[in-house]
Amino acid sequence: MKYSATLRVNGFSYPVTIEPQRTLLSVLRDDLELTGSKEGCDDSECGACMVLLDGEPVNSCSYLALQTLGREITTVEGLSTNGDLSPLQKAFLEAGGVQCGFCTPGMLISATALLARNPRPDDEEIKASLSGNLCRCTGYTPILAAVRSAVEMTAG
Amino acid sequence: MTMTTEPRTAPVVRLDGREKVTGVGRYAADMTLTGLLHGRFRFADIGHARIKRIDTTRAKALPGVVAVITEADVPDVQYGLFIKDRRLFAKGVVRWEGEVVAAVAALTPEIAKRAVELIEIDYEPLPVITDIEAALAPGAPLIHENWESYWQDEKLVRSGNEASRSTIVKGDTAAALASADLVVKGRYVAAGSQAAPIEPRAILAEWRSDRVQIWSSTQVPFAARSLVSETLGLPENKIRVTVPHLGGGFGAKCEGHFEPQVAALARAARRPVKVVFSRRDEFLAPDHRREGMIVEVESGVMRDGTIVARRAQVLTENGAYSADEPLITILAAIFSTGPYNVPNVDITGRCAYTNTQPSGSVRAPGAPQAAWALEQHMDEIAKALDMDPVDLRRKNLLRNGDLSPTSQVMSEIRAVETLDKAAELIGWGQPLPDDEGIGIACAWWPSFPMATSAFVKINVDGSPTIITGAQECGTGAVMTLPILAGEILGIDPSEFSLVYQDTESGPWDGGAGGSQTLFNNGRAVADAAMDVRRQLLKLAADELEAAEDDIELADGRARVKGSPDRFVTIAALADKTQGTQLLVGKGSGEVPPTPASDTSACTGRLGAESFAAPTFGTHAVRVKVDRDTGVVRVLKVVAAHDSGYIVNKVGAAGQVTGGVVMGLGQALTEGTQISGEGRVRNAHLLDYKLQTMADVPDISVWFTDTAVSDAGPKGSKGVGEPPCIPTPGAVANAIAAATGARVRELPATPGRIWSALREGQA
Repeated sequence: MKYSATLRVNGFSYPVTIEPQRTLLSVLRDDLELTGSKEGCDDSECGACMVLLDGEPVNSCSYLALQTLGREITTVEGLSTNGDLSPLQKAFLEAGGVQCGFCTPGMLISATALLARNPRPDDEEIKASLSGNLCRCTGYTPILAAVRSAVEMTAG
Repeated sequence: MTMTTEPRTAPVVRLDGREKVTGVGRYAADMTLTGLLHGRFRFADIGHARIKRIDTTRAKALPGVVAVITEADVPDVQYGLFIKDRRLFAKGVVRWEGEVVAAVAALTPEIAKRAVELIEIDYEPLPVITDIEAALAPGAPLIHENWESYWQDEKLVRSGNEASRSTIVKGDTAAALASADLVVKGRYVAAGSQAAPIEPRAILAEWRSDRVQIWSSTQVPFAARSLVSETLGLPENKIRVTVPHLGGGFGAKCEGHFEPQVAALARAARRPVKVVFSRRDEFLAPDHRREGMIVEVESGVMRDGTIVARRAQVLTENGAYSADEPLITILAAIFSTGPYNVPNVDITGRCAYTNTQPSGSVRAPGAPQAAWALEQHMDEIAKALDMDPVDLRRKNLLRNGDLSPTSQVMSEIRAVETLDKAAELIGWGQPLPDDEGIGIACAWWPSFPMATSAFVKINVDGSPTIITGAQECGTGAVMTLPILAGEILGIDPSEFSLVYQDTESGPWDGGAGGSQTLFNNGRAVADAAMDVRRQLLKLAADELEAAEDDIELADGRARVKGSPDRFVTIAALADKTQGTQLLVGKGSGEVPPTPASDTSACTGRLGAESFAAPTFGTHAVRVKVDRDTGVVRVLKVVAAHDSGYIVNKVGAAGQVTGGVVMGLGQALTEGTQISGEGRVRNAHLLDYKLQTMADVPDISVWFTDTAVSDAGPKGSKGVGEPPCIPTPGAVANAIAAATGARVRELPATPGRIWSALREGQA
């Protein structure tokens, strides 16, 4: 049995017809072809699939697509505006926070949620907030530096 | 992170960075094709068994299934780097749970999954051996009954379950041990571990008549192409391997992996096929996990701390089939003596077949476990002599003029500087709270000179392009190539475009392994840029009516030195070449020589005779240990490295912090757990715990940053692998310093630390 529904993603409405067991990640990647959100484990362990749901970060691999009806979904593709990178995106590039880039979408989503709820987090808050996102390349240190730098850019 | 030296050049934003932060960058699993089918492998799912029957009838009958293939559907070719002991699909016997037995292509991933379950396999179970020493014991059941019939590298020495046996012999170890003031012995046991890139691998294959296009998340597209060629019997120019963005590899995506099976599946289905690994597949099936290792070492020392002899036996876990583990065992044997000046050395390396996942190169293969064992042993020597561990190391570290275990003469090395700097930055010797300790460990690692080539072209509008066969796996090494070319051509690095990671576009390359990309591709790109530079200077000399020697390239212009107003833009010069000879440079550069060595007393050598442009590093770690629970908190890490000249400081520092944290995971929380039946117990990220941002301490990175000769571009050395080597040993020594208890098993889990504390040993 498939259901017709409308998902709100990055400010657009997308009509979809999907089975109820479909995860948000699979619908984003396979139906909407928004492949920025990555599948690293399909088990809420790595955070590469993270998206914002009404501003809150969730692992989209473990969230049913139909649970998101009427809510605003933001993926990594929605973080820049009119081609302008967000301060976090810029800071990740400049501080060396991106290496292979596979964890980057989830990291950016986590960090975006953090700065939205607390524009001036200290290091411990940054570390705690991003601890659900695994990175194997950077040793996290440049990512921490990137978030600090974005805080300086935005919090003034 | 504390950067103790400032970047020399302006930081360069990686050319692929914008794609990666906006989510538009494509990785292999992100790709789709018209008519694409979804493939899935049937794995053995048993540790060791004879295959009595495979029946694919029910799987083939499932609606939506387009192809099911087994060994009967591909050429009967055995392959392997040093021993050709395996096939694309199991034939007759399965030897580990992750071995590929069959493959299915279907309309959807769900149908493929169901079809895989419908393949019927009858097994006759065979004895399972998971323990290295049990595999090498006399009378152990053979994992490969017909081992003698396999092709092998002629230099390889092996017998039965012993996949390789090699020795390093220098001097007279027995006599030196007998005359030493003291002999200290130790035994250390390391579990295998996983590279665990965050991207599980994905492969797509599409046939175009008799040619196949493959997209793969591989670190080594040219090696992948060779494996397809060897196993499917195609010339290399009918196989194109292209890598979209690669989501990390750390060695697990080295060598060919599964590209031939997916190509064979697509050929059978007559449609393109995509196989995407699950995280569980990624844990179980690739033949590149970091090997388990047992190191037994004894050292003869004098009262003043001079090490006069070292004897060691290094046992490594080959797994069910042999990838590059025999060579890694040779490396591990070298590292079991450490970067120290030991005049008498007698080391045996033995690599054992077991019914487990095959081992193979993972970031600095063989080194972290061997260094972990040896550096603990060094601290145990210091304790026996009542000597400061830093003093003991300083007394014995390799210096210029000293001989390595293979009698290579050291030159232009700065190992002692890294030790002194690490000790200084960690605050060695300072008073600490009772539950804290500082540990230190040293390491070394070779650079790997090899041939490669590159092209640099100036397009007709003056924009520059680098064409290379190099592979970027996240390290940024490929991204550093425009820095070198830009400097030679007077063009900003950000203006370059890069053509890379594609076997049909670029010259052959060794791929993203061995920390070799900047070392070798950098040389080739610089050489190609010099070729273009000569062409530009000639054109500019005519244009400006000046001698070539008087012209410099800067800011996108050719200008007369001292007269910046007399210039012509590179774009204008490029425009003039239309209709004549275009601006294309090619280069390879001269491969740096490999230092001389003497291995005449050694046996079973497969390579690594000497270390070209060796790198040295010392890590110091401060920890806090909860004595009631055995839980370790890492408070601070200092990583001091002699990596030669540093071309890109932000990129190089990111390699060090990444390596340090990988080492912390190996030291404390990782480690593959295998049951007696050969089943991996922790094939997911909850039980195989990578470090998180919350676990990571402040990390200080320091480089000698000094150019050396016979090395990479501008006197650089390999950077990517060495930082993961000394961390586990430094952590182990810090735990012992904090608690007085020594954990001789890796990883140092809370349970093991707690037990060591209860035993009161040190």
